[in-house]
Amino acid sequence: MEVKLQNLTKKFGTETAVDNMNLHIKDGEFVAFLGPSGCGKTTTLLMTAGIYKPDGGEIIFGDRLVNKVQPKDRNIGMVFQSYALYPHMSVYENIVFSMKLKKKSKDEMNREADRVAGLLGIGDLLKRKPGQLSGGQQQRVALGRALIKKPELLLFDEPLSNLDARLRITMRSEIKKLQKDLNITSIYVTHDQVEAMTMADRVAVIKDGKLQAFMPPIELHEKPRTKFIAHFVGNPPMNFFNIELVSSDGILKGVNSHFTLPLAKDRQPKEGSREVILGIRPEDISINPDSDLKAEVLLVEPLGRDDLLQCRMGKEDISILADPKDKHRCGDVIGLDMDNTTFQFFDCETEKSLLWFD
Amino acid sequence: MKEKRDNFSWLSYIVLIVFTAPIILGYLWLFISTFSERTYGLKPVDLDGNFGGLTLKNWAFLSDPDIWIITMNTFLMASFLTFGVLLISSLAGYALSRINFRGRKTFLSMTLILHAFPSVTLLIALYFVLRFISGVPLLGFLFGYNTIGGVVLISISLQLPLGIWLMKGFFDSVSWDLERAALIDGSSRWRCWWQIMLPQIKPGLAALSIFSFMTGWSSFLIPYTFLTRGNKAVLSTYLNAMMSSDTVSIQYGVLAAIGLFQLIPILLFYSFTQKYLMKIFSGGSHGGV
Amino acid sequence: MEKEHRSHTGLWFIMPALILVIVFFFIPVLMTLGISATDMSSVTGFDAWKWVGLKNYVKIAQHPDSMNNFITTLKYVSLTLVFFNVGLGLLIALITSHINKLAGGFFRSAWLLPRITPPVVYVLMWSMLAADAPYGVFNQLFRIPFGLSTGNWVPEYAFLFIVLVNGYIGASFGMIIFNSAIEAIPKDIMVSSLVDGASYTQRVRYIIIPQLRWPLLFVVTYQTLSLLTSFEYIMVLTNGNFNTEVWSLWSYHKALNNYWGNFQYGFGAALAVVLVLVGTILGIVYMKYFRFGALVQEPKIDQL
Repeated sequence: MEVKLQNLTKKFGTETAVDNMNLHIKDGEFVAFLGPSGCGKTTTLLMTAGIYKPDGGEIIFGDRLVNKVQPKDRNIGMVFQSYALYPHMSVYENIVFSMKLKKKSKDEMNREADRVAGLLGIGDLLKRKPGQLSGGQQQRVALGRALIKKPELLLFDEPLSNLDARLRITMRSEIKKLQKDLNITSIYVTHDQVEAMTMADRVAVIKDGKLQAFMPPIELHEKPRTKFIAHFVGNPPMNFFNIELVSSDGILKGVNSHFTLPLAKDRQPKEGSREVILGIRPEDISINPDSDLKAEVLLVEPLGRDDLLQCRMGKEDISILADPKDKHRCGDVIGLDMDNTTFQFFDCETEKSLLWFD
Repeated sequence: MKEKRDNFSWLSYIVLIVFTAPIILGYLWLFISTFSERTYGLKPVDLDGNFGGLTLKNWAFLSDPDIWIITMNTFLMASFLTFGVLLISSLAGYALSRINFRGRKTFLSMTLILHAFPSVTLLIALYFVLRFISGVPLLGFLFGYNTIGGVVLISISLQLPLGIWLMKGFFDSVSWDLERAALIDGSSRWRCWWQIMLPQIKPGLAALSIFSFMTGWSSFLIPYTFLTRGNKAVLSTYLNAMMSSDTVSIQYGVLAAIGLFQLIPILLFYSFTQKYLMKIFSGGSHGGV
Repeated sequence: MEKEHRSHTGLWFIMPALILVIVFFFIPVLMTLGISATDMSSVTGFDAWKWVGLKNYVKIAQHPDSMNNFITTLKYVSLTLVFFNVGLGLLIALITSHINKLAGGFFRSAWLLPRITPPVVYVLMWSMLAADAPYGVFNQLFRIPFGLSTGNWVPEYAFLFIVLVNGYIGASFGMIIFNSAIEAIPKDIMVSSLVDGASYTQRVRYIIIPQLRWPLLFVVTYQTLSLLTSFEYIMVLTNGNFNTEVWSLWSYHKALNNYWGNFQYGFGAALAVVLVLVGTILGIVYMKYFRFGALVQEPKIDQL
């Protein structure tokens, strides 16, 4: 089922939680809403679910305007961060609750419960109470409860954030696989960019209630449309410097009080003033003792596969990934090579990309 | 340093015991005199004033059928009161906590003011209200002046501000996601209230019902004022009439026995449910701090 | 259309409560005001009464008992409040939160007994504590051994006893509120004050008492209201004799219950109005305490 959000707006008192949101989600698509907490992503989701009433705009399922359709009539399933299982009911009762409300026959409920339980591998838990289950099991039950309705739209509200790190990774792929197998249009709210990037077909980045970008994960990473996205997506986050663009000897250079960086010919800001923000990801900086670009190591954070070096270059802080074998220490002065074909440029005022436009 | 603290503790205990003494003595007297011919202070004595005279005859009142009618009355009143308070407060508390509707804030602030409002000052007007209800056919028979129904309704009303406030507090603490899930699963708000929310606030319901029952069981002023059957109405009025009787010479042993008879269920409740009750005595879940 | 229908759901839920509140609070308040402006009594009956305007209030002002009852009420409320509801409540909360946990719990439970004991039974206990020799417990313990006079204490010290009887109930309220406030003080603050070498009295003075400001205000407003109108126990103990006729009991006696059977509804209502006014004002203060705005969060589910 297609889902369209048009000029969707929600206010809480004087505060605008969701501001004129426009999204067109295709049938069978897995979309992640990504943003920091309080950005309006959950509010958008709850409006889609019919829990919150929009103050403006439309929500369209297929070609049906659902603004005033009750949650129960929207044919959706929802999975919550807190799982929200009914604590006083057994797993079985939790799963078939929606069918019971529709007065389905016992046989049908049993059949459906078995099907869903089989799908999720919770067949042996049906008689237990939610309180007796682990977090991962509870989340499966919650999924089962959502799936038994054969929903046309699945909504996930940070479903994995209460799980421990390892379980999160397994559940991630499991949810993704289920979604693909069942081909249910899904919206997945998360503040974890790794989750969004690994699971979603397209990611909607939301900040302060406004849609920042809506595109496939790779494009989000490679072609960030705003400085916010560039900073938010990718770990460790991108480095930013204020630079001035100077042309000398026919080469455009980025100049800062402390360093000068030549720009690649085919990767230069399209327009805008002379003052821009240059962004480069830590993984695109390499260490080269011969380089003139020097930085002092302030802090070494071992990440395992890499060391993350927090360095100081002139007045700027910069983070760099280094090979742990090189054993860098605080106080070391290192030379840096920056790959200028990976530079991103943003306008100082609007913080919009000067490379990529919609 | 250590020495000093110990002295302090001793002092604490002494102060506590001195101040608590009247309560303990009062209860002791009640228990002892219940089983005594009579008592000198706490000392059971026989008719000649010598130590002894333990007896069960103070409990003879139990063979009087009247006491059982009165007990039944009291029990019914307490039960109706409990049921009414529970039902009405949990409905209203749910709406105030969970549903957006016009007048919600007004009703909520009103509840809060009524919670502190000196409602006994309204007894005079309530007398007129009940007399008015008495004039309405059928309704008057059930809830008018001098009916258990009327007394129960007034008692429920007086208890409502606390009940609603308490229920609201309990509903407030239930996860929103739980209710959202139920709505998405297809429940109406009524079903949510009944099947999803009420089971989550069982401790609150337990606390409120115990409290209401105890209040109803003990209540004196309202039945005393609005039931003309006076002393034969409920246990409290019965006991009061015996205490202040001018004609019969007062037998304290019997009084104590009736008092204890009324007190026992309360004490049982109290010892098993103290934790819940603490919540209520502090004026609802928001009362403390 | 559908929207209209849905937005009434909340109203249906509060309907029963609303009806009771209107019938048993709103209308009575208005009626109390109304009746206070009439000469209604058992002499006029419910038909022959007439409006008398503020006459009842003038009567209160000129009534020979007014001043006396007013002072009794003032003394009763303020003494009980200061020494028991606040003073003793605080003392017990402080002590029981300081001593051994089990013992503290025991004493707190004991202090709740008066509150849950049926009023008449409770008063019975007190009257037996105070009874004349040789029956009275106090007389047995404190007077007979010293050969002092041994009459019934209630008529002799009637005022003291109404304060005691109500105070022993009121103290537990303050005790619970203060105790939970003390327990809500973060443990690290207590620990760090211990590390800083604060004595127990210093801790009480500088850490605990400042934390009790709001609970104190709460207890004072709430209990002032309770005390103003808590004539039930006084009625059972002395029935207003021996100079213990507090304002609310006076109103009750005048309008609903007296020896002569002349029920002066109008005059009684006017007496009640005075209390209603005080009650309303204190009720608003009380609401301020709760920081009402903060409590009224918007529901997180909308009606579509």
